[in-house]
Amino acid sequence: MSESTEPKVRQHQAAGDGTAVQPLLELRDLDTDIALRRGTVHALDGVSLEVMPGETLGVVGESGSGKTMTALSIMGLLPQGGQVTGGQILFEGRDLRSLPADEVRRTRGVRMGMVFQDPLTSLNPTMRIGYQVAEPLRVHEGVGKAEARERAVEILRRVGMPRPDRIVDNYPHELSGGMRQRVAIAMALVCSPRLLIADEPTTALDVTTQRQILELIDDLREEFGMAVILVTHDLGVIAGRADRVAVMYAGRVVETAATAELFRSPRHRYTEALMEALPETAVREAGKEARLYSIPGLPPDLSRPLTGCRFAPRCRHVTDECRSTDVALSGGEHQFACLHPVSGTPTGPVTLPAPVVREPAPVEAAAPVRVESTATPVLSVQNLVKNYAAHGRGLLRRNAGQVSAVADVSFEVAPGETFGLVGESGCGKSTVGRLAVGLERPSAGQILLDGTDLAGLAGRERRRMHRQVQLMFQDSYAAMNPRMRVDAILAEPLEIQKVGDGAARRARITSLLDQVGLSRRVLERYPHEFSGGQLQRIGLARSLALQPRLIVGDEPVSALDVSIQAQVLNLMRDLQRELGLAYVFISHDLSVVDYMADRIGVMYLGKLVEVGPAREVVRAARHPYTQALIDAVPSITPSATAARDGVTIQGELPSALNPPTGCRFRTRCPLAQEICETEPPLAGDRHQVACHFPLRPEADAVSAQTGTAA
Amino acid sequence: MVRYLITRLGQALVVVVLVTVIAFLILHLLPGGAARATLGKEATLDQLAAFNHEMGYDRPWIQQYLMYVQRLLHGDLGYSYQLNQSVVEAITQRLPKTMVLSLLSTLLAIVLAIPLGVIQAVRRNRWPDYTITSLSLLAYATPIFFMGLMMIILFSQVWPILPPEAPQGFTVGEVLADPAGLVLPTITLAIVTIAVYSRYVRSTMVDNLNENYVRTARSKGLSERRVVLRHTLRNGLFPVITLLGMYLPALFSGALVVESLFNFPGMGQLFWQAALKRDFPILLGVTVIISIATVVGALVADLLYAAVDPRVRLRGSSS
Repeated sequence: MSESTEPKVRQHQAAGDGTAVQPLLELRDLDTDIALRRGTVHALDGVSLEVMPGETLGVVGESGSGKTMTALSIMGLLPQGGQVTGGQILFEGRDLRSLPADEVRRTRGVRMGMVFQDPLTSLNPTMRIGYQVAEPLRVHEGVGKAEARERAVEILRRVGMPRPDRIVDNYPHELSGGMRQRVAIAMALVCSPRLLIADEPTTALDVTTQRQILELIDDLREEFGMAVILVTHDLGVIAGRADRVAVMYAGRVVETAATAELFRSPRHRYTEALMEALPETAVREAGKEARLYSIPGLPPDLSRPLTGCRFAPRCRHVTDECRSTDVALSGGEHQFACLHPVSGTPTGPVTLPAPVVREPAPVEAAAPVRVESTATPVLSVQNLVKNYAAHGRGLLRRNAGQVSAVADVSFEVAPGETFGLVGESGCGKSTVGRLAVGLERPSAGQILLDGTDLAGLAGRERRRMHRQVQLMFQDSYAAMNPRMRVDAILAEPLEIQKVGDGAARRARITSLLDQVGLSRRVLERYPHEFSGGQLQRIGLARSLALQPRLIVGDEPVSALDVSIQAQVLNLMRDLQRELGLAYVFISHDLSVVDYMADRIGVMYLGKLVEVGPAREVVRAARHPYTQALIDAVPSITPSATAARDGVTIQGELPSALNPPTGCRFRTRCPLAQEICETEPPLAGDRHQVACHFPLRPEADAVSAQTGTAA
Repeated sequence: MVRYLITRLGQALVVVVLVTVIAFLILHLLPGGAARATLGKEATLDQLAAFNHEMGYDRPWIQQYLMYVQRLLHGDLGYSYQLNQSVVEAITQRLPKTMVLSLLSTLLAIVLAIPLGVIQAVRRNRWPDYTITSLSLLAYATPIFFMGLMMIILFSQVWPILPPEAPQGFTVGEVLADPAGLVLPTITLAIVTIAVYSRYVRSTMVDNLNENYVRTARSKGLSERRVVLRHTLRNGLFPVITLLGMYLPALFSGALVVESLFNFPGMGQLFWQAALKRDFPILLGVTVIISIATVVGALVADLLYAAVDPRVRLRGSSS
């Protein structure tokens, strides 16, 4: 026993001079079980990992892969019923599993820190920020009240908190999500830990905020000389930040390597498939028309005994041997557990040079321009305005003015076209979607469906018209009545609109299931019995029931894992081709919108700041905000991430209650000048921008055409 | 804050007015009416008419109601012919005594229920939780008069250490001078409340212990004791405030059963006897008092909530 606890000594590359450095943290064959009522889930099965002092280890995987359970096992924070059942957690040479509980608790508080996913719920709502941040100091170091406050101010300043001396007296609900995450980081760092575990630290945040937080963690790692474990589902986040990466699948580490190496030549077939499923990869390698590679099936149920490679049932290269043999990680720097790995020579997905972001679009294999001005648009939105009366919530119910959610937005969607609407939370993109499907009435402006103004219609006519437009939700489970079976859910739109008789409806429902690729057996089941991807298919089937011409998808794939997301995106595209559907695709995820959309509109604080063909908007953005958004999107091409020197925006989104006059982006724009206090019109021909200082002129229409032909 | 207070008071006032209207209507719709109830079965029609004329009961209802309200505003709740004293006098005699009993039992219940609920939440689904849950349910399911009887039998018959009757004093001071007499009624009243409160505390604590912020607190390496007492308890107790506010009316109305059982001359007993004798002025008076207490209770609970929960407090003042 004493021999095996001897920490493994490894040459650490970063040390440079060849001195042997001990890992700061080493997991050896860690097993974690979670006892649930329906059985025991073997969340981790023989997980072994190392973290060197000062390095960032990225742990990546889809939901259920065990990445969060690994983090919680290290911290001793497993949920009720959870228990580490085997293996060792060697931290600074001592096995945390064999130390007395008090000692472990102290280690956790002083030597380690953890940042959680959801900053909105991770702070105590009724405790002042300063107290929460300084609490570890007071408990573990016996620091007095006054000094604790001082040090809380100090650490808040170091995590980039504006006015930290005032923030300490605030409560969490008074801060934005990004600011709360800074508080959480400050809290984790207040005792200067050796190891910071960040579990999806930016998943709940907008991309521009995500970038700020990730950079902050990077800077602090150097400043504090600590190691970081960055747990995430987002390959892009890992690619830009981690020194080494461990890929997890179904409770095991399947591959680990230096970041550049892993992304250049992934060896495990799962890693390979995961990268191919990214829309980013498809767009870069084969153009937008390419189908995404989607990994079939679902991850295995970890409460059952499993033999062989756990990815085998979903793998393209599976052999009988894979199903029966348990494969251990190979040795060396690049470890993988695969019998039929991708060949070692780098022919992986990242062989092409990264696209030059700054150049105007080399419009190779661009989508045929489907936007013909002659065809009547299926949806036409003109000068749309939506204001909400703002009440002080809670105690004071007086009218506090108006929230300008959508301010003078105009765009058109042609039949069969996909119009992508991107922007960060609170920009009004979802409100536009809700207005378009008639869930809410606009304060001003027109919505024309097939050339008919909705405002002129009432009652039955209006309802009939609305058949043309259907909504697809982000969280399909929440959008379905949990007490209704799938057959009732799918029949409901038909019943409400009085379409056909019973037999005709049943026939329609069966054909809908065929269209979305579900078997008829699902009809007798309830929503809670389905996985996220299946629910999204059912949601899509429901939207299709009335044979609409336009579907408004509000973040339809944002809650899904990459492999499942690919399935749904492919399905949406197939249906578009078969049925001639048009989509308004609302998402915060620029790479998904880039893949799906023919044209993209970018919204900021209720305004449409840029509209144009997708390729041009993404590759030759004209508005500084669009460029900042693009630059903030993490990419799996490490070079692309590194090469960015574009627009970085700082600060926080202003309140829509009293939006800035003139250009609403001017308060955060690096290019803003006096003239920006007057509102810039949305100008241009095909690629419009609302900016006094567009980053580049509109790509010449003629050359764009030539480009398409070439 | 001031503005909020005014709005809330306005709402409260509307509710109180509605209550007086409803109470007034119900009481006057009763068969026989007040005259019959006061004068008895033997009274002649002439006597009834004379009584009704004297009391103004032959005038239109609107007018009667306005008269009633006018008197109400002057603190005149009417006169009980059965007790031969004014309603206000009858109530002021009994209300303080009822409040003593109710406050004592509520305090006892809170002091015991909070720790019990916390223990249950921390040890949930293990034996301490199961034991306390079973006892709570038993206490909750037992009819209160049975509970009271058992108390009397156990502690004043089988093991005679306490008197079976509550203090009969005329004033609060006299009641308090006989503390032994208060023990059994207080405990009897508290037992049911403990059961309700501890279940409530348990469920809010269980909810809060599953919150992310508790995990954050643990990640700071805090002791479990500190996590529960410093971080969770405060948030877990907010909902209890609402419960307390809802309990305020009970402070005024007293407990019908317990007061009768222990022969405690409080509001409950007053109401009970008035109901038996159709003593309308008393019934109406007590109803109005209790309804005002209900409205005020809700108001106080809201204000308390706002005072202790920064989320409510600041949301109000910042907008």
